Amino acid sequence: MDIKEFKDFSLEDYQKLIKNREISVKELAQLFLQRIENVDPYLHAFLFVNRESILDEAQSLDEQLEKANPEEIPPLFGIPIAIKDNICTQNIPTTCASKILEGFIPPYDATVVSRLKAQGALILGKTNMDEFAMGSSTENSAFGPTRNPFDLNRVPGGSSGGSSACVSALEAPVSLGSDTGGSIRQPAAFCGVVGLRPTYGRVSRFGLVSFASSLDQIGPITRTVKDCVTIFEVISGKDEKDSTCAPYPAFQAQEIPSREEVKKLKVGLPREYFSEGVDSEIIESIQNTIDFLEKEGIKLVEVSLPHTVYALEAYYIVAPSEASSNLARYDGVLYGFRAQEAAELQEMYFKTRTQGFGKEVKRRIILGTYSLSSGYYDEFYLKGMKVRTLVRQDFEKAFEVCDLLLTPVSPCLPFLFGERTQDPYQMYLADVFTIPSAMAGIPALSINCGYARSLPVGLQIIGRPFQEGLLFGLGLLIEEGLALGAPFPEIPLRKENTYE
Amino acid sequence: MDPKINLEEIKKVAQLAKLSFKEEELQTFFEDINNIVSHFAKLEELDLENVSPTSHISWSTPPTNPDQPVQWPDYQKILERAPRVSGNYVIVPKIVDK
Repeated sequence: MDIKEFKDFSLEDYQKLIKNREISVKELAQLFLQRIENVDPYLHAFLFVNRESILDEAQSLDEQLEKANPEEIPPLFGIPIAIKDNICTQNIPTTCASKILEGFIPPYDATVVSRLKAQGALILGKTNMDEFAMGSSTENSAFGPTRNPFDLNRVPGGSSGGSSACVSALEAPVSLGSDTGGSIRQPAAFCGVVGLRPTYGRVSRFGLVSFASSLDQIGPITRTVKDCVTIFEVISGKDEKDSTCAPYPAFQAQEIPSREEVKKLKVGLPREYFSEGVDSEIIESIQNTIDFLEKEGIKLVEVSLPHTVYALEAYYIVAPSEASSNLARYDGVLYGFRAQEAAELQEMYFKTRTQGFGKEVKRRIILGTYSLSSGYYDEFYLKGMKVRTLVRQDFEKAFEVCDLLLTPVSPCLPFLFGERTQDPYQMYLADVFTIPSAMAGIPALSINCGYARSLPVGLQIIGRPFQEGLLFGLGLLIEEGLALGAPFPEIPLRKENTYE
Repeated sequence: MDPKINLEEIKKVAQLAKLSFKEEELQTFFEDINNIVSHFAKLEELDLENVSPTSHISWSTPPTNPDQPVQWPDYQKILERAPRVSGNYVIVPKIVDK
């Protein structure tokens, strides 16, 4: 079987094959393992491939299927799923792409993982990322970068670069990522796939390794909006193990409005997101979508989110502050890496942290520790939190005159390796359009809306809290209308591109 | 432009964060961090006097759970993750001098 035949398959299509016994669960798992074998030496999307146990688990599902009524099998039965390496998976390594967690094997599953497993999903492997999710290019992984399937000389975005690249290259049908300031949406855009950052608190963070707790959210990365809905239905909903998880039930596809209702929605275009700093070909691509929506009869209004430019600065105060506190736990005592040859405890702390963390992580720990230190708290952290209030109010005002916002995901196309690593601030600018909604805690969906210079362009739909249904409604309309299909980038298998 | 944070402060903060740097690394960090912090000056354009801070987005009252310890089903599995263990104890280098 050629993997390309599955290019436009939805999870439901895979399910049908399994139900009709046209493919066994084991064969399906083998198909993806083979694909990983073929292309991952070039992409390096995976940090760990669950080769052995996935086949045993698949076999046992096949045996269950023998006895089961095929109509009663759960929606993800036999579906292999890739998981970002900052989400805990029982008995499978979880490193956050950091040396400080090298070899760490969690004794439990994150809530999202146990929910996926309960619906019959199989863990295919753990995906590469920027260390502790700090970055926008996956260049900060301690184990080497992931490459963009559309151009191996370019970054896949970050921090969920592995989760996005593997879905784009069809090494996995779907994956999970995490988004703190744009880490699902920006790599999804760079790799031409769909990514959802849910409303803050809609998905449990239990088992997600903390970066900035007031911002972190787990979400699906998929090839179609429909698959995104399927995964979101499974992973969302209250969880007693996470007190920041909203006490509401899981999302249901019925929340998605009908086509007629979608066409009655008012869509806002925030003028700050169409400024001169945005690549003109990205604007052009978004404009095509806007033209399409107008033809469909959707009303578009210009709105303003005046604190957009301040959100970025506030984020780079708030997120590192929370990170500096969360990352204090890595001291070499209870788990993970411990530096050798320390004569006393303090020395062990210093050596472990200095040897275990990468450069960007250290930079953010220093920045965060500084922002929180006495004498600077008011000038930095407090100010950051106040700006966060203004950013939130911007969105509240905008949603008085429209139901959804439509924007580019990123001001730039996937960039070349090394292009932005010399100047950390240039790297931070890659998140300028994804940070404000993250700061406000509201949901945002990233979908492909075309190609510029042979690279994917991402479009972002932002909505009111808990209105993921509206995002999906508009997303489905756009996806169908533009008819771009799921990606299948040709990956040139040149020797010099082998990841070593 | 004058550096917002001087080298001594960075050294002090690194000490608090339990990170050590070689002198030449420190210089790069000093430049990078001052570059980032210089952009924070933009926030001075805003009048934040009467704005209340948002530390966390919460859509409902956070639940209060009974303050009762729950036994982890298999604590040995947790203990196994420690780099050095003896019996039910985690071994670390000495903390106090004799």
